[in-house]
Amino acid sequence: MTGRAYFRHLAREARGARGRILFFVLCLAVGVGAVVAVAGFSSSLRTTLAREARQLLAADVKVRGQKPLPPAIDELLAADPSLRSTRITELVTVASAPLVPLAPITAGAAAAIRTQGAGAGRSQLVELKAIDGDFPFYGTLTLSPSRPLAELLAGGGAVAAPELLTRLSLRLGDSLSIGGKLFTLRGVVTAEPDRLGNAFALGPRLFLSGESLRSTGLIALGSRVGYRLLVRLPDGAAPAAATALATRLREALADPAFYRIETAAEGQPELRRGVDRTERFLGLVALLSLIVGSVGIAQTVRAWLASRLDSIAVFKALGARPREILSLYLGQIVLLALAGSLSGVALGLGLEHLVPAIAGPLLPVQPEIAFEPLAILRGLALGVGLALLFALPPLLAAIAVPAARVLRREIEPLPPSRIALVVTGLCLGLGLVAVASFQARSLRLGAAFAGGLLLTAALLALAARGLIVGVRRLPRLRLPLPLRYGLAALGRPGAPTVASVVALGLGALVVVGMRTVEVGLTSRLASDLPTAAPTAFLIDIQPDQWAAVRAEIDRAGATSVDSVPVVMARLKVIDGKVVEDLAESRDKERARGAERESDDEEESGQRGRWALTREQRLTFLDKLPSDNTLTSGKLWSEPGVAEVSVEEEYARDLGLKIGSKIEFDVQGVPVELTVTSLRKVRWESFGINFFWVVEPGVLDRAPQMRIASVRMPSGGEQKLQDALAASTPNVTVFAIREVLEKVSAVLDRIAFGVRFLGGFTVLAGLAILAGAVAAGAAQRSREAALGKALGMTRFQVAALFATESAIIGLLAGAIGAIAGTVLAAAVLEKGMDIPYRFAPGAPLVAIGLTAALAALVGLAASARALMQRPLEALRAE
Amino acid sequence: MSPIPPAIELRQLTKRLPSGDRMLTILDHVDLAIAPGEFVAILGPSGSGKSTLLGLAAGLDRPTSGEVRIDGVEIQDLSEDALARLRRAKVGFVFQAFQLLSNMTALENVLLPLELKGAPHPIARARALLDRVGLTERGHHYPAQLSGGEQQRVALARAFAPQPRILFADEPTGNLDGTTGARILDVLDELRAADQVTLVLVTHDASIAERADRRIYLRDGRVERVESR
Repeated sequence: MTGRAYFRHLAREARGARGRILFFVLCLAVGVGAVVAVAGFSSSLRTTLAREARQLLAADVKVRGQKPLPPAIDELLAADPSLRSTRITELVTVASAPLVPLAPITAGAAAAIRTQGAGAGRSQLVELKAIDGDFPFYGTLTLSPSRPLAELLAGGGAVAAPELLTRLSLRLGDSLSIGGKLFTLRGVVTAEPDRLGNAFALGPRLFLSGESLRSTGLIALGSRVGYRLLVRLPDGAAPAAATALATRLREALADPAFYRIETAAEGQPELRRGVDRTERFLGLVALLSLIVGSVGIAQTVRAWLASRLDSIAVFKALGARPREILSLYLGQIVLLALAGSLSGVALGLGLEHLVPAIAGPLLPVQPEIAFEPLAILRGLALGVGLALLFALPPLLAAIAVPAARVLRREIEPLPPSRIALVVTGLCLGLGLVAVASFQARSLRLGAAFAGGLLLTAALLALAARGLIVGVRRLPRLRLPLPLRYGLAALGRPGAPTVASVVALGLGALVVVGMRTVEVGLTSRLASDLPTAAPTAFLIDIQPDQWAAVRAEIDRAGATSVDSVPVVMARLKVIDGKVVEDLAESRDKERARGAERESDDEEESGQRGRWALTREQRLTFLDKLPSDNTLTSGKLWSEPGVAEVSVEEEYARDLGLKIGSKIEFDVQGVPVELTVTSLRKVRWESFGINFFWVVEPGVLDRAPQMRIASVRMPSGGEQKLQDALAASTPNVTVFAIREVLEKVSAVLDRIAFGVRFLGGFTVLAGLAILAGAVAAGAAQRSREAALGKALGMTRFQVAALFATESAIIGLLAGAIGAIAGTVLAAAVLEKGMDIPYRFAPGAPLVAIGLTAALAALVGLAASARALMQRPLEALRAE
Repeated sequence: MSPIPPAIELRQLTKRLPSGDRMLTILDHVDLAIAPGEFVAILGPSGSGKSTLLGLAAGLDRPTSGEVRIDGVEIQDLSEDALARLRRAKVGFVFQAFQLLSNMTALENVLLPLELKGAPHPIARARALLDRVGLTERGHHYPAQLSGGEQQRVALARAFAPQPRILFADEPTGNLDGTTGARILDVLDELRAADQVTLVLVTHDASIAERADRRIYLRDGRVERVESR
């Protein structure tokens, strides 16, 4: 057959198949849209992170660590006058509106003398950033009034985010107390180039000068302080210059493992890794809707080819070879798949613009949504690939129709042999693994996803079949007509009910499952705190302040108080190996394993590095708190050995076991300890717990501070924080409820995003149902005509059709909701150690909604049958 | 010089089909040779194996045992592709139920075998054939818009389009009234005579069979008798 003849055939085959083409396109477009939206948005986000890396870093090179930078760095910077540098000190502390007007520390701040109004005495956690030098080198710091930051901060000035002004009822010119010193509020900051996302902020931003911070004495021993160095290269410097400088800086650091050095050229590698990981997860959720849509394609193709069996037989009788017939229909399917995928791409490009609204403050930066050709190609490849994968089995079956059907219509395609069935099944399974691996960029994850999906689908199909058989056997003679008709339709031979139920059920499963996990998690976080759990933590209490702090705690009405000493230390040596070397080898391992399959391994590697180089907090206790359980070894059992008990997961991250020898640097003094026990900690008790518990007597005289947990009546935390802000301003109060509310707000958004994507699976399921209903259009027309001929009104006929679809939706909703709830309960109980409590809300709403949507879709797909005149339909018979 | 082989030759042709748990014999060791250009009618009651014989002889179906030769070439063991090529080159069909493709117009139906064969100027030839069967003005109509007689005339035009050596006709007038049926047979005769085509025609109707050179009567899958004109 010539090319022209081939395309003429394609065009002829498409005639009169508008409905089918629409469903085919719809089934594919929904899933491809979800895939493209996820891939495109992630890609835009990564591009923005890479492009604006310098702005996001606010410098060419940035060094950060938890201890001050050594003088060698100063010397290095001073030796090269072309470099400009700024030092930043960051900590979380408390700011308060002073109770009484105190003398401002500068003569210029006359406004601070005024007695301050409603907010006087109120305090607030702030994220303090103290600047020594120019800030930022790149990007924009939006200030009001629009003056250089250094100018606003000079001479005891402070610049704060608008939320702080609101919460403490402050105005520009008012005084603000930090660490017991008064500062004058000179400006408001609304945007910072290097503040990536607001979701995890513990409080509003507050800027001071470095000199101001040092005057407060907040940076006491043991305070949680972050030290940053920003360096700007001369204009026009090559990216290699930044890398070279980073190397020199690393060499100048005495213990580089305790610092992180970033250059703009790296383009925020950690954030991009985070984006990658999120994309892989959401990509799989999106893929689910595409796979469900592909089931619809298999159905549409089967129905379409069933109506073409005669044509195929005639083709064969006229001398068309099976391969020519195959290529004819395959061409049709490829064209339709392209049309569906392209529609999906258009949908996805539109959806991308919705993502910022959904993800909100979770996003590190607001990306510029760009045209991402790779995301589009991914959508097209997955769309066309899956369509072909699912269309091939019915196509191959139809091609097998014998030419002799032209003589006897009753001759059907030969039933496929067992080998053919196995090969088809294998192809489908392997194809699914391939697309899932392509989407997850990991063979293991892809295989697990495909396996889990096939198993779930098989279970859903089994449940659907069982339910259908059960429902079919219900005595229905006395039921109202629409219900009787709907129930009878479930059992109609050849009705594609199981596929519709499974597809819709999968969608309901994702939505209900996600909602259930979300509810379980947030209710656990927000309201299910153990009754005896503390409501606030107090940190950075100096030993000599404890008596006064304790008195304030009692005055504020605390019902229970717990307090332990904390000794700050650094890990130096583990089993004879220097920690810096261990950290470096982990870095190398991670760099080598960039293409490593498992996220868990990578995460564990990162945790290990963090565990090695962080500021370690040690406590010493005679016996373990009640929420600790020894899992191996014995507590304080070896006389003559300085013992330490380590939390078991932390020990695993560090590679510690019973008998491991550790050397700590406690404020310059080496302390050797032996691991003699490992513990499991029930962190969710919210008690004070430590990774390291040292035997009493070893650290008693080391420099230390205290940490306390208190249980307060409602609102007591704020009162305590206000009181401490006035008396011991270096003590920071963390109200647990506030922190949990933030966490739960973040979880809510994540869960909403996943449910939103899961909703696409429901849409794909509805498209399948619509396709199935429309595939039986001829029969439906006949039924509608007969109903009308027998005297039924159009409304009554519509009620019949709507009930039939609603029953399918009801079954799908019920199966999906039950499966989703069971799965979510397992995830909560086994994966998160959260006891699951049944809440009927989400499953019931899901069942109701699925039934209602199915009824609507069923009606819409039957519209033509409903509108047709009875005589037309009966004549066509 | 070797003698010209029969257009169709069946040797010990047998077809059995499973029916429940036993095998049903549809055709039982049939031998038959049909000369080039000959018009053979196959007659017999329902279930005698007429259509099965036609399907086997045309390579639409495969025998359980025995041989089918077309122009001296054994076809029962040919691949699907080779059979398709053979049909494309040498064989045409006319069916009782017309078997026109409903989503194609009359012209497109006639065009189809020409396109499959890659024939030159297919559209002109298709139009010419429609002209010959008296449907010049109906080329753009779909099968559903044509009467039964018109549909069968389109089927005839389609059957003759690729200039087949052999034409198989399965009850071509079975779905038509007497007058229309007679007209269809006239057209068939005329086309056949013009192209010197071998015609194998299955029918119930003795009056139609009268037109044939030879009449073969089947009963219970066997040749009961043969009559020549």
